[in-house]
Amino acid sequence: MPKSLVPTICPYCAAGCGFYIAVEKGRATGIEYMPEHPANEGALCPKGNAALEIIYHQDRLRYPMKRKGEGFVRISWDEALGMVARGIGKAIKEAGPDSVGFLSSSKCTNEENYLMEKLARCLKSRNIDSCARLCHAPSVVGLNRTLGAAGMTNPIPDLANSKCVLVIGSNFAENHPIISRWVHKAKDLGAIVIVADPRLTPTAWFADMLLQLWPGTDVALVNGMIKVIIDEGLIDKEFISLWTKGFESLVDAVKDYTPEKVEEITGVPASDMVMAARAYARSPASAIVYSMGITQHTTGTDNVQALANLALITGQIGKEGSGVLPLRGHNNVQGACDMGALAEFYPGYRKADDPETAKFFSEAWGVDGLPVGRGLTATEMIDSADAGDLKALYIMGEDPANSDPRCLHAAEALFNLDFLVVQDIFMTATAQMADLVLPAAAWAEKDGTFTGTERRVQWAGQAIEPPEEARSDLAIICDVARAMGLRFDYPDAESVLSEINRLVPQYKGITRDRLGLGGITWPCPSTDHPGTPILHSQGFKLPGNRASIVPVQYRPPSESVSPEYPFVLTTGRVVLHHNAGSMTRRSPSLMERSPELFIEINPRDADRLGISEGEVVCVASARGETTAIARLTDKLKEGVVFMPFHFPGTNILTTDARDAEAKIPEYKVAACRVSRRD
Amino acid sequence: MPVYVDINRCIGCRSCEVACKNAHSGRSYVEVKVIDHRASVPVMCHHCEEANCTLACFSGALTKDGARTAFDIHKCTGCGLCAMACPFGVVWTDKTAHKCDLCGGAEIPACVATCPAQALSKDQEVAAKRARARAAVAAVLGGRR
Repeated sequence: MPKSLVPTICPYCAAGCGFYIAVEKGRATGIEYMPEHPANEGALCPKGNAALEIIYHQDRLRYPMKRKGEGFVRISWDEALGMVARGIGKAIKEAGPDSVGFLSSSKCTNEENYLMEKLARCLKSRNIDSCARLCHAPSVVGLNRTLGAAGMTNPIPDLANSKCVLVIGSNFAENHPIISRWVHKAKDLGAIVIVADPRLTPTAWFADMLLQLWPGTDVALVNGMIKVIIDEGLIDKEFISLWTKGFESLVDAVKDYTPEKVEEITGVPASDMVMAARAYARSPASAIVYSMGITQHTTGTDNVQALANLALITGQIGKEGSGVLPLRGHNNVQGACDMGALAEFYPGYRKADDPETAKFFSEAWGVDGLPVGRGLTATEMIDSADAGDLKALYIMGEDPANSDPRCLHAAEALFNLDFLVVQDIFMTATAQMADLVLPAAAWAEKDGTFTGTERRVQWAGQAIEPPEEARSDLAIICDVARAMGLRFDYPDAESVLSEINRLVPQYKGITRDRLGLGGITWPCPSTDHPGTPILHSQGFKLPGNRASIVPVQYRPPSESVSPEYPFVLTTGRVVLHHNAGSMTRRSPSLMERSPELFIEINPRDADRLGISEGEVVCVASARGETTAIARLTDKLKEGVVFMPFHFPGTNILTTDARDAEAKIPEYKVAACRVSRRD
Repeated sequence: MPVYVDINRCIGCRSCEVACKNAHSGRSYVEVKVIDHRASVPVMCHHCEEANCTLACFSGALTKDGARTAFDIHKCTGCGLCAMACPFGVVWTDKTAHKCDLCGGAEIPACVATCPAQALSKDQEVAAKRARARAAVAAVLGGRR
């Protein structure tokens, strides 16, 4: 039986692993490994191996539906598109374009993200955003400010060249398993691995030095390390003088972060912190790997800037084995950001509040009066819906009812909207609340490019047809645009990519015909440029070609423990699931191995509360309560508990307190109480 | 050649389980055990040189085929003696016996191909080779590890 192998990119995390989908008689029958892929070399994590399980799932949305009472009835595409045009049109007419919001999807292609933000802006709304807001918004803001570009500075395989890997706020062994391969190689070549995390994760098993800091104290730790490096003369003076500005203010800013003071704040023994600082500064090539443990705080932007400072004063950037490596979440969150599905940026990170940006795109798109100014972020859209100012919301491939913090409130806010349309592959909790549900194609059912965390842009070809009346998000957005009187003539993804090539300088040379195995890493300014795996080797795209050292001060998290809520709740992920779980919780291989919500609690804390292993317990915070299965483990210090957010319930408890600049919620720290159910 | 585990490398992701299941129509022959949240190891058929399961099997379903412990389902009576005989608990019965078949002689078994951390290998010496390489590097760098 002739079988074709369609190369694709995994739809789960941003590692961007390649594999082949085996297609026989129009059906996806299995996965074959791609050993020639430069990042994963054929390997896949359990989610990648289970990726096809969601394709033919019975829950797949197959036709448009509109709300009828508590349920939905099937309608035609014509009727659906008419409803969208009327719903959005009415809001624009009665309350202006800024009463409409657009939430783009970090799981959709670059082409689809580009069209979504174009749709929003052509309709004169400033309110376009994506779930990057909930994850690496501080990296986008903080790294653009300090280094002039927001993305992993070195490619994944380059970690093998590192001699010291500082992992802080990242559990890559579970969330980006393929990174493990390269860190192991680095270790075999003599690298030291330092892991800073409140929790002893499988990533901590890599550690030569373990810094088990208290949640939310990262700035204190990093400033402490910076002070040691300055005091002991371990800075790279030449690099600082040639490539940075702001060093003097940093010296002053960290002067009080003595090892003893840092130990007091973080709980990390002074001598450990000093050793870690020395190891990082002395090694010939040191890399910082970080993720949500750094970003999901009210001090997320500060945390990121602190890490950039650390790398800059030691010259650990712009060369092999070094760098600042944010590990991004979704398969295309990097691309969604690059394409401007962000409230503060148009495509290519042109600032939304710069009139020149609107002018540029007005000319390029042939549309007058494009909006100038920062729009509502995803988190602010909830506030605005709650207040009744946001009237209509078009959500593509996002599940705020599960993903947003204080999610019961988020759900109420969504209910308050006059018109909610949700475009997705499954009836998520958010889709359940919609006035109109549009069935979309899954990743294997459409063409397009995805940009992984390495800034690697890869083409994923369509392997099979979408079910029944489901259509690619690209086709749906074009139809919606046309229904609203706009000219969106894009017959295929390639035509959108050509426009992206023209308008996004970093993607200029990333044309369809050049996208083969391994893709191309941006910036790629021309069609004969090979791409740029390592950033900043020739300086920084900032004034004077210099990076900005931005000193930051430690501030405690927004919520402290109290007698009523005596535990610090920190949230995170497990290897078998992905984010809000709309896909992985429908995947039998993954569900049989990780079926339910649990709470990790230190055995001594459990003992005091009379809780035993496997018992169902109540967990409550100021925002609500939920139940979970207790897992007793000393991975956490006393006083800290952990819950994964893949299951509904965890985000009932989390706080919507935000980073003032990046607007990311503080998912990593909340106060809660745990009690027996009876 | 059987599949060997470099225990230094296992990250407990259980990808080998899912890959094995996909390669065997819904059944996984490897299980990852996590020890006290400190380490993990995939446990699967060791294809023992002197395989207890083959000694217990009176119907000739389980035999040694070179290094591989082979299983012929047509000869299996489902008696369950192999499951009792296996010292590692990696053979079980459900109508017939079930155990790792090294992916039917494929050049690279699914678990080996898929492991993100390269913890699995057909090379019996893999863990030792890596340890020796690390020691050599350490000697050059001044004994840091």
